[in-house]
Amino acid sequence: MDEELKKFRIIRNIALLFFTVLIISSLKLQLIEGGKYYRLSEENRIREKYLTPPRGKIFDRNNIEIANTRPGFYVSVTRAFVDEPSLKRVSTILNISRKTIKERLALQKNPFIPVKIAHDITYEQLAEIEESLEDLKDVQVGVEPLRNYPYKELLFHVIGYVGEVTERELKNGKYLLGDYVGRMGLEKFYEDQLQGKRGIEYIEVDAQGRELRKLSEKRPSPPISGKDLYTTLDVALTESVAVYLNNYERAACVCLDPRNGEVLVLYSKPGFDPNLFIHGIEKTQWQIINKDPNAPMFNRTIMSCYPPGSTFKPFIALAGLDSWMIDKNKHFEPCRGQLRLGRRIFRCWRRHGRLDLIGALIKSCDIYFYQLGEFLGIDTIFSRVKRVGFGSKLGIDLPNEKNGLLPDRSWFEHRYGKHWTLGHIFNLSIGQGDLLVTPLQLACAYTIFVNDGKIPIPHLLKGDSVRYIETGISVEAIKTVCEGLKGVVAAGTGRLARLEQYEVWGKTGTAQNPHGKDHALFVGLAPAQDPKILVCVVVENAGHGGSVAAPIAGRIIKAFLSREKNIVIK
Amino acid sequence: MKKKLDPTIIGCVIILTIFGLIMIYSTGGLNYTTRQTLWFAVGIFFLLLFSQISPRFWSNIAPIIYSLSIITLLLILVHHSGYPRRWLKFGSISIQPSEFAKFATIIMLASYLASRKSLKKFPDIIVPLVITSIPMFLIFIEPDLGASQIFFPILLLMLYWSGMPGAKLFIFFSPIISAAASFSIYIWVGYIIFLVIFLYFHKQLYDLIYGLIANILAGLIMPVVWSSLKPYQQKRIIGFFSPWLDPQGMSWQVIQSKIAIGSGRIYGKGFLSGTQKKLAFVPERHTDFIFSCLGEEFGFLGIVITIMLYIYLFYRLLNLARETKNRFSSLFVVGVFSWLSYQTFLNIGMTMGLLPVTGVPLPFISYGGSALLAGLMAIGVSLSISKYKMVY
Repeated sequence: MDEELKKFRIIRNIALLFFTVLIISSLKLQLIEGGKYYRLSEENRIREKYLTPPRGKIFDRNNIEIANTRPGFYVSVTRAFVDEPSLKRVSTILNISRKTIKERLALQKNPFIPVKIAHDITYEQLAEIEESLEDLKDVQVGVEPLRNYPYKELLFHVIGYVGEVTERELKNGKYLLGDYVGRMGLEKFYEDQLQGKRGIEYIEVDAQGRELRKLSEKRPSPPISGKDLYTTLDVALTESVAVYLNNYERAACVCLDPRNGEVLVLYSKPGFDPNLFIHGIEKTQWQIINKDPNAPMFNRTIMSCYPPGSTFKPFIALAGLDSWMIDKNKHFEPCRGQLRLGRRIFRCWRRHGRLDLIGALIKSCDIYFYQLGEFLGIDTIFSRVKRVGFGSKLGIDLPNEKNGLLPDRSWFEHRYGKHWTLGHIFNLSIGQGDLLVTPLQLACAYTIFVNDGKIPIPHLLKGDSVRYIETGISVEAIKTVCEGLKGVVAAGTGRLARLEQYEVWGKTGTAQNPHGKDHALFVGLAPAQDPKILVCVVVENAGHGGSVAAPIAGRIIKAFLSREKNIVIK
Repeated sequence: MKKKLDPTIIGCVIILTIFGLIMIYSTGGLNYTTRQTLWFAVGIFFLLLFSQISPRFWSNIAPIIYSLSIITLLLILVHHSGYPRRWLKFGSISIQPSEFAKFATIIMLASYLASRKSLKKFPDIIVPLVITSIPMFLIFIEPDLGASQIFFPILLLMLYWSGMPGAKLFIFFSPIISAAASFSIYIWVGYIIFLVIFLYFHKQLYDLIYGLIANILAGLIMPVVWSSLKPYQQKRIIGFFSPWLDPQGMSWQVIQSKIAIGSGRIYGKGFLSGTQKKLAFVPERHTDFIFSCLGEEFGFLGIVITIMLYIYLFYRLLNLARETKNRFSSLFVVGVFSWLSYQTFLNIGMTMGLLPVTGVPLPFISYGGSALLAGLMAIGVSLSISKYKMVY
């Protein structure tokens, strides 16, 4: 009997111990860690479904949509639930290798969040997937807003494009896998505004990831579409520009409203159809684009730096007049076609004979400006030309604007040591040598002739308050140079820009460059009494500014002004 | 003399079963609940019937019941309906012979052990071991790892109760520990050192020789056996040790079950309001994992009440075994105690992630007619024993 009792107690105590362990364990799970598990159970049941907001549209100045959205079908997969046969099937339908899909899925750390593996699938692919959806485990098809550029490569550089978010960009947490990010131009600069706010829907799901229903107790936030951009761009004019530049391979054109700095046209050639980036570009294709010697990705209007050639001469004249070192009757040694400086000979493109300042501008006489440059000296030229905006960014609302290069005394000393010579000033005086400007800088500099010494900062958004650079250059000096600009088109090198209905002012430029034939430049504005448009045309390696760029600029001006007149009549 | 049925045992069982029906309704719906209620009615009938039968009857027909049980186990191996071979179908009714085999084996063991006056030596273990091993093996190859392992503690406890010294039992079955320890050479060596010291103080030469040889052999053979296990069985055992490493694998169940229980907190989410079970995150939620849903919907309070009911039931059973003067009856009740308490511990421990997922039902609560019926039959016999407990 004692034996019995002893065994009873041992068994009873062991059993009691075991069951006490169970109670303690449940105490730990439910009371101590209950909060954590409750949260986990909530997360389990609720899946946040992100809704891509439509990107803000971009309009031109006449409210024409130049970037909008269209619906596209995507395929998404959840790493935790998808199986190998489904992946195999999807990869054959979409023609993406399974390895690529898996690499994509691996980018999403949380295996329960669906990952978009393909955007913008074709209707054939969609039909095929929908047909086999029964057999495909956790493969979903949905509609998302995709970027669309109706004008294709025409506005490529200024609008830019959107591309899928990269692995690096994902790290800051702003984006989700499969999001599109502005990559260039306005799309990049105004990314935060255009992007919109992602919406969230709370979906109740089961352990297989199947969506059961939308949760009503948790308020969803609808996607807020991005802000629309109303730009100052003029598509119709850009189309005309593209037509007029049709015969040339590489060119840049800037059109501004010179009174307020509104950018009408920023056209760079060659371009690229940004719609192709939506699909995602193949690596090889990307390499071809990047290695293209014509650099189609390059916005020449703000990123290419050209020697301005003779289009720079009005600013040398301005420097002279503003510094009171010369007046418009200033004469130098007459032009005999060349000028000897030590052992070097500096040539003019013609024998112009004796000229005053206006005459030298009209005829674009190099000999006159060599002597003027020498007479003024580097510091006089630099201090004034710098105020016109050369050598530094203007601050247009686009990424990657370049500085250009405006050499001053210290720059020359740094570059050539103490031995820099008069020759460098000669070159600077005719817009050659080390001097480099972007087409936008050149265009903006010419607005000084419209605004009595003020230069409006170029901008692309309508309604932005206009900011001006106060150059402090005297109005009298400006008026004097304007006489020259008038003469250039009326009777000088820019005759081909002349229009019957409107008085055009302008200046030609023929820029020698190390890449072959001269660049042809022309900057013009019209109508002269009340300028509404300023055009700067740079045609690479095309020859003389007067014969190539001036007529193009003339046609652009005509296209703009005649259309504007029609609108008024309406 | 006419005595009343022990009201505490039958009370605990009925409350637990009703609790089970409530949980089955919550997790499986009306259809399952109806079926289980029918099984419950049949079970209560057998419970009342068996409670009226003298224990002596069971002792007498033990070999017949045991043989029938073995035959049905063999039958499903040959004439099975699907794999694993666990079910015997009669029209729309399926019976799980392994549940009844537990009942039958306990009767057979009790009957045999009662017939032996003293059990002190190793050879005395052989026959009970054979009696247990046959159904255990047949169920193991169905395969049903969960059900087959229940037999071992039944044998162990009944042997102990019948008079086999604890030290002897330990030495006899110590090769099993050796086999389990062989997964790590360090643990195994440590275990062997402990065994040697134990055997030294045990001071019995034959035990020492047997202990050493058997343990070392087991340690060598085990790795070979391991590699012959079914991958899912290996996975389950591995999964137990690394539930958070592979949340999509076997231990996915364990994590979801723990989340279900933990998220119930003190008072639970309320009847029918469990989100884990509702959304199918908890696997086999009306059978093996019903306890996780209980924990989710009724919280810590529900779990404590349930476990208390079990503890009280098992205490009453063990107490009955002590009070019963008849050797067969006493051994039978210990067997039933061992069966139900071990299975309860295993199931609840599994849902809380303390023990590997071996797929055993929770007595009286899990959905499953055979398990409920077999359990109620065993309780019925125990009740009759309680009536006759003063009869030698």
